[in-house]
Amino acid sequence: MITRYFPADALTKVVASLADERRVLIPVTQPAVKKSVIFAPFSAGMTVELHKASVAPKEAVLPQCETLLTYSKQKDAEDPSKVNLVLDDKPQAQPTIVFGCRPCDARGFAVLDRPYLDGPFIDPYYQARRKQLIVITQTCPSVGTTCFCHWVGSGPNSTTGSDIMLTAIDGGYVLEAVTEKGEALLAGMKLEDGAPFMDKAKTARGTVEAQLAPAPDLTQAQEKIAARFNDNTFWEEQTAQCLSCGACTYMCPTCYCFNITDEGDGVCKAGRRLRTWDTCMSPLFTREASGHNARMSKAQRMKNRISHKFSTYPENWGGEFSCNGCGRCINNCPVNLDIRAIVLAAINEKGA
Amino acid sequence: MAESIKTTKATGTAKKAAAKAAPKKSVAKSAAKKTSAQAATKTAEKPKTAAAAASTASPVIKEKAQAPAVHKAAQSPAVKEQAVAPAVATAAKAPAAQPAMEAAAAQPIPAKAAAQPAHNSPVAEATATPKAAAPKGRTSLKEISARPMKAGNPYTPMAATVKEVIQETGTIKTIRVVLDDPEQMAAFHYEPGQVGQLSVFGAGESTFVINTPPSCKEYLQFSVMLTGEVTNAIHKLSAGDKVGVRAPLGNFFPYEQWKGKNVVFVGGGIGMAPIRTIMLHMLEHKQDYGTISLLYGARSPRDMAFSYELESWMQNPDLDCTLCIDAPFEGWPHKVGLIPNVLTEMNPSPNNCVAVLCGPPIMIKFTVQALEKLGFTPENIVTTLEKRMKCGIGICGRCNIGGKYVCVDGPVFTWAELKELPPDM
Amino acid sequence: MSVLAGKELRIVGFLCNWCSYGGADTAGVARATQPTDLRIVRVPCSGRIDPLFILRALLHGADGVLVSGCHPGDCHYAEGNYYARRRLEILKQFLPVLGIDPRRFEYTWISASEGQRWQLAVTKFTQQIHELGAAPAFENAEKLIQIADMALTALRPLGTGQHAALADLKKAIVEKLPELDCVIGWQQSYDAAHSAPLFMRKPEDVEKLVWGPLNVNNLATYLPQYKGKKVGIVVKGCDSRSVTQLLQEGLINRDDVVVFSMPCEGTLDMARINQALGAYQHIDKVAYDEAGVSITADGKEHRFCMVEYAQGKCYSCATPGAVLADVRLGTPTPVTGTPATPPELALLDSMSLSERFAFWHTQMERCIRCYACRNACPMCVCRDYCVAESRDPHWLTQEDTATEKFFFQTIHALHLAGRCTGCGECQRACPVGIPILALRQQIARAVAQTFEGYRPGMNAKATPPLMGFTVEENNIKEKDWNK
Ligand code: SF4
Ligand code: SF4
Ligand code: SF4
Ligand code: SF4
Ligand code: FES
Repeated sequence: MITRYFPADALTKVVASLADERRVLIPVTQPAVKKSVIFAPFSAGMTVELHKASVAPKEAVLPQCETLLTYSKQKDAEDPSKVNLVLDDKPQAQPTIVFGCRPCDARGFAVLDRPYLDGPFIDPYYQARRKQLIVITQTCPSVGTTCFCHWVGSGPNSTTGSDIMLTAIDGGYVLEAVTEKGEALLAGMKLEDGAPFMDKAKTARGTVEAQLAPAPDLTQAQEKIAARFNDNTFWEEQTAQCLSCGACTYMCPTCYCFNITDEGDGVCKAGRRLRTWDTCMSPLFTREASGHNARMSKAQRMKNRISHKFSTYPENWGGEFSCNGCGRCINNCPVNLDIRAIVLAAINEKGA
Repeated sequence: MAESIKTTKATGTAKKAAAKAAPKKSVAKSAAKKTSAQAATKTAEKPKTAAAAASTASPVIKEKAQAPAVHKAAQSPAVKEQAVAPAVATAAKAPAAQPAMEAAAAQPIPAKAAAQPAHNSPVAEATATPKAAAPKGRTSLKEISARPMKAGNPYTPMAATVKEVIQETGTIKTIRVVLDDPEQMAAFHYEPGQVGQLSVFGAGESTFVINTPPSCKEYLQFSVMLTGEVTNAIHKLSAGDKVGVRAPLGNFFPYEQWKGKNVVFVGGGIGMAPIRTIMLHMLEHKQDYGTISLLYGARSPRDMAFSYELESWMQNPDLDCTLCIDAPFEGWPHKVGLIPNVLTEMNPSPNNCVAVLCGPPIMIKFTVQALEKLGFTPENIVTTLEKRMKCGIGICGRCNIGGKYVCVDGPVFTWAELKELPPDM
Repeated sequence: MSVLAGKELRIVGFLCNWCSYGGADTAGVARATQPTDLRIVRVPCSGRIDPLFILRALLHGADGVLVSGCHPGDCHYAEGNYYARRRLEILKQFLPVLGIDPRRFEYTWISASEGQRWQLAVTKFTQQIHELGAAPAFENAEKLIQIADMALTALRPLGTGQHAALADLKKAIVEKLPELDCVIGWQQSYDAAHSAPLFMRKPEDVEKLVWGPLNVNNLATYLPQYKGKKVGIVVKGCDSRSVTQLLQEGLINRDDVVVFSMPCEGTLDMARINQALGAYQHIDKVAYDEAGVSITADGKEHRFCMVEYAQGKCYSCATPGAVLADVRLGTPTPVTGTPATPPELALLDSMSLSERFAFWHTQMERCIRCYACRNACPMCVCRDYCVAESRDPHWLTQEDTATEKFFFQTIHALHLAGRCTGCGECQRACPVGIPILALRQQIARAVAQTFEGYRPGMNAKATPPLMGFTVEENNIKEKDWNK
């Protein structure tokens, strides 16, 4: 696979050159007393800094809000007594690069691909964006206190979901293509060959890998969590702290539930059908018009969230967990609820 | 070619797979048998090659490729390349499965065609052997059963116009709609038990069973109980209003498996809607079944939907129809009592008999208990679930019970299947 | 025809059916010349006007909003306009912090016979709006980034709980536990530098209880869900105000709650702590002393002095000891001086209206609509039935525009008017760090100024100001149209 190298001070320039032709989403620090980092399009004047983002880049394929279709009722040209319903369902998509996400972010795309592209139905909106997406992932330079990517099949150097890996080495960055898409992009970039720097990159990657604490064995998680399903006391205890806010799911690179709502013009002539992020942690998520709610209690909702990630998603999609171990749901939770602790408790394992 | 065939679960043992293939086969036949109205059925030609047959039996086949609509289930973690192998392997047992291909062919509406232009192959290609097609075929990692599916963008409703609105009860209205595109209307095919998302633009979508029997080609009928925003908007519709329909969605009643058996239908309140579609369908093919009986209960005579049809049901020599209401009501000539009690009194024999029930959760709970007491096994108790749905295609995450999604794995389940699932209803 | 030169502007009038609507009619019948910019919405009573009607109009393109009802004392429903007067006044004082010119909104009292007075009011108001010109659109606001300066002088000594009687507290809890469903306190979270709520059910759970500046969560948030059960709660001073407020509103029963308290010496601003710690793998050591905390992470020591790293609310906190408690342990902390404007609000105060508009637009754009702010708020008790997600009424769409997101914040702030104790949980909970507390602080300031220094959560027996009225309001002055 093709490799490339560029010196550290060329980072912004490299991103700028990519941004000539497409939208490049980079991690951007939002200044505030409590800083946050979100993915935003690069524009001239920005300086690129590769911090781990607070919010995963799933926005690139699954925007917080998108129009599924617009509708309008129009008089028939020939027969004015007739009204025609005109629907426009064209996906909004543009060529995009996610630059500088972490392997735990990139694996999110692989997790989303299964239900959106590999299921009985293809989601055309997701597909349109995914097809035009190139993911350039930074191998993780440091492991965090809430990180557990290596428990769940990812890792600081995992290439799952990425097209190109970027590794910071002393004085510069090495780019390594992982997919054909990535290779094509790298081939077109006028940068130094990365081969002479690959050893250094491998060392850097190895250093981080070595920092990882041993991971607990989660191979039984799918069955064990399924077996816990009816243990209400367990779920109630584990969920007592939860505020049902949904911050965990919105920050998560793998959470993909959504809502569909109509916004009309008030006079029933035209409007839009919107798809927006939704969260299974909200009591409204499953509340039916009749008032009946299959997941009335927060314990039931937490059970759904944990089971989906560690049991039912693997059951439906080939054994892979739909959690990347990025830790966002832990450190962004207003009460620091720790998904690791719940999973370990569910499978009766001691923490690593 | 066809639509959505669904293969058996990849993870099943060979025996299991074979067993499951059988029902599909019958589906295929029945589909092929359908009335001439279903033009599509006729075009369904049955490739007799082993390979074609294999596709039905094998869990993993990907013939989807050429038949955009065919649904294949892949095996578990299966990587796409792996999928090919099992397909070939199963081809060996193919002969038994042949008819399944017909079923696939019978379904006129290509499922993922629009969503996936690259694989959108012409219908003619459908007859290509799965083997040839497999490599470039699309594999679904998640298997669902064979069924008709909506073509094109799965989120886009088909434009439709309200033809007629019937006030059933104080809170239930029946809406008959006709698809605006006559070709679409003519080609529209579904199986009894499948649902549709009815859109009132501006208010949103809601899921209802299509409660006309598939032989009715003039309109699609939905019966809607007034509960929330969307149903409220639906209740305000009148003839000529524009709506949207996303259908058919979900699985359907496995009536082919019931051939030669007696069937007891139990409908409670609005739960009569799904029962109506399958019951009328089976009455149209009465020669294939044993006795067909119906117990239809509601709170009071005023809460009985389809009241204008009850007389003809009572008169129908093919149907043993019992009506009941919860509490005595002046002038009510039929039974009085709660459904489970009346059912126990009716005392249907569980021998060679399937019970199909639909109604509010509490009625289901006690009716199942009554049926089990009567000796019905969980495999022979079938129900259809109502869940809050949004996408209807297994993605949005709203309708799942454990790992099963009511919108794609249901809404029709046997009690045996439901017992396997967490009690999260 | 407009009596005013230039283009018409979009002015919305909410007029009471029983008086002002008639007044407008009277003016019309008398053929009094009136500007035509006004679009009238007839309401059954000025008391029917939710301040959100006005805010929604202003955020969605109205250049001005005029509310007119019956004169105080003349309400068709006896008291509707007394309540309205308080709400509308608080709204008027709220608008500036949003960046909306308060002159774009006026409320007035006009009877059905006062055609002339109507003519005067509507002409003057229209003139006022024309002088202000078309309202700026929130969506078009410029980008503006400013950060509050958190350095303040505290009203009392800040510390790290060195002198707290934790052992005594544990003992007291173990004693009471048998009669309680659970006692809510704090425990160490995923590492020693973070804490999380703890639900003590068995005596061994009590061992996990911690006390110190990391105990940031306001546990009162959990109380309403235990209504009907007997529970205990450990509180800091600020938390006790939330408990009091919940009692005042009948959301919990006094007999069902056992409040354990120790004097608070301040809590840490975890946002800034986490920022300073950066990415680390292990906490090696957390050492507390009188002045602050030393956290050693991955071998590196970080020093956090309480006077620099406390939460904004802690500096101006005048209630380090609980407002109410059943078990009170530890030595009370003295409080001196009067509270200064909290830092978040001080920042807004220093800006012009257009800067505030720009500031909020810049901040709100990144809101992910998770509603952590709402769910962390101990006083947001209808969260499962919140108007944010309701379709009827349909206040908000699910669109991700800054306007929709900001409108939710104004809803939250207004629903908390006279109820918010300033605990700051909303802001602390926000995963993307939007400084939304300032909106609540401005309302709290307006409430205190208008209602004789009223502070929510101080007295469980008090009537919340927006749930009551006085016939004469000392601090509410009606608009004088003759000026
Ligand atoms: S972020 Fe925390 S409190 Fe909020 S829903 Fe998730 S687990 Fe519960
Ligand atoms: S569940 Fe939590 S740790 Fe796992 S991927 Fe989502 S946010 Fe990250
Ligand atoms: S609005 Fe914020 S500061 Fe006020 S009570 Fe709620 S969480 Fe506390
Ligand atoms: S917590 Fe923050 S991001 Fe979440 S809804 Fe509130 S303001 Fe928006
Ligand atoms: S309705 Fe969306 S997953 Fe079933």
